[in-house]
Amino acid sequence: MGVIKGVLREELANSLRMQSGYERELKKLPKGSLVKKCIKGRHYYYLLMREGGKVKFVYKGKVSGEEIKKYKETKEIRARYRNLLSKVKKQVKFLRSSLRGKESV
Amino acid sequence: MEKNQYELCLEVLRRLHRAGVLKDIMLIGIWCLPFYKEYFSSTTYSPSFRTRDIDFLVPNPGKIHVQTDIPALLKDLGFVVNYSGSKGYIKLEHPDLLIEFLSPEKGRGMDDPVKIPRLGVNAVALRYLNFLVENTIKVGVEGFTICLPHPVNFALHKLILFQRRINKEKAQKDRETSGMLLRALIKKGDAVLIKSIFDSIPLRWRKRIVKGLQNAEDKDILSVLGEVVS
Repeated sequence: MGVIKGVLREELANSLRMQSGYERELKKLPKGSLVKKCIKGRHYYYLLMREGGKVKFVYKGKVSGEEIKKYKETKEIRARYRNLLSKVKKQVKFLRSSLRGKESV
Repeated sequence: MEKNQYELCLEVLRRLHRAGVLKDIMLIGIWCLPFYKEYFSSTTYSPSFRTRDIDFLVPNPGKIHVQTDIPALLKDLGFVVNYSGSKGYIKLEHPDLLIEFLSPEKGRGMDDPVKIPRLGVNAVALRYLNFLVENTIKVGVEGFTICLPHPVNFALHKLILFQRRINKEKAQKDRETSGMLLRALIKKGDAVLIKSIFDSIPLRWRKRIVKGLQNAEDKDILSVLGEVVS
């Protein structure tokens, strides 16, 4: 039993470190995602982001193919990190409850 | 979770193989156990639970043949770089796996991580790791091979190590893993091999192994090593 508890304690420390790792990486990513709008038959790029709880479109002007690719990749990475962060948070919750969450571990 | 974890481990190995890194590194630690199945194919072998820690040993950090950036290679899988300890050992972390790099300690040892710029990581230098490099096996995984320490060396190394552990739970886990592995090796008919490898290691290490087994009163393994319970 001691082995399992020790492993759980170590895993909790790992998960907590990982949680802050994902939060840090998410902060590093550029804000917003690129959206293409079709206005009067012409295509325009906007950066869609939230500011103070409000959705905001920022006009981007001409956007190179490379930049579009970069924003697409960022969007994918952000989605993946968010997904993994939620997984880590669930792990932390589970590990804390397994170790009797009321105790400080 | 277990299946995802194994799949992720395979994907990491696949990518390291494609980048040509697997030629210069070997898999060590608890994650060797599932890959030993091929070695124990003729006998019943059921590895115990494994943790998220996956360790790669870089035997010669100065002699890496390829130039690659491992953190970048694994980034899209969701691995993030974290630095552990005051010295900044790199850990690549994912909710299912934690990757760490190790290297054999040279000379009197040092606390600083061993820089491996050709792989974009650093490694923790630890004692006794050369013992794992001395005797290795190659295991086929999905068309490529990975290098692992021979199960005998793996088990004896764990027996040396568990007595040096500060963490009691980890020590117990090491002892249980080595016991399980040695018993499977004996069942497979490798008792003579265990004895010959045991006889080839330095006397101090042998004494340490025997002391550990005597404390655990592991008579079966002690008899294979030609030792008696005190």
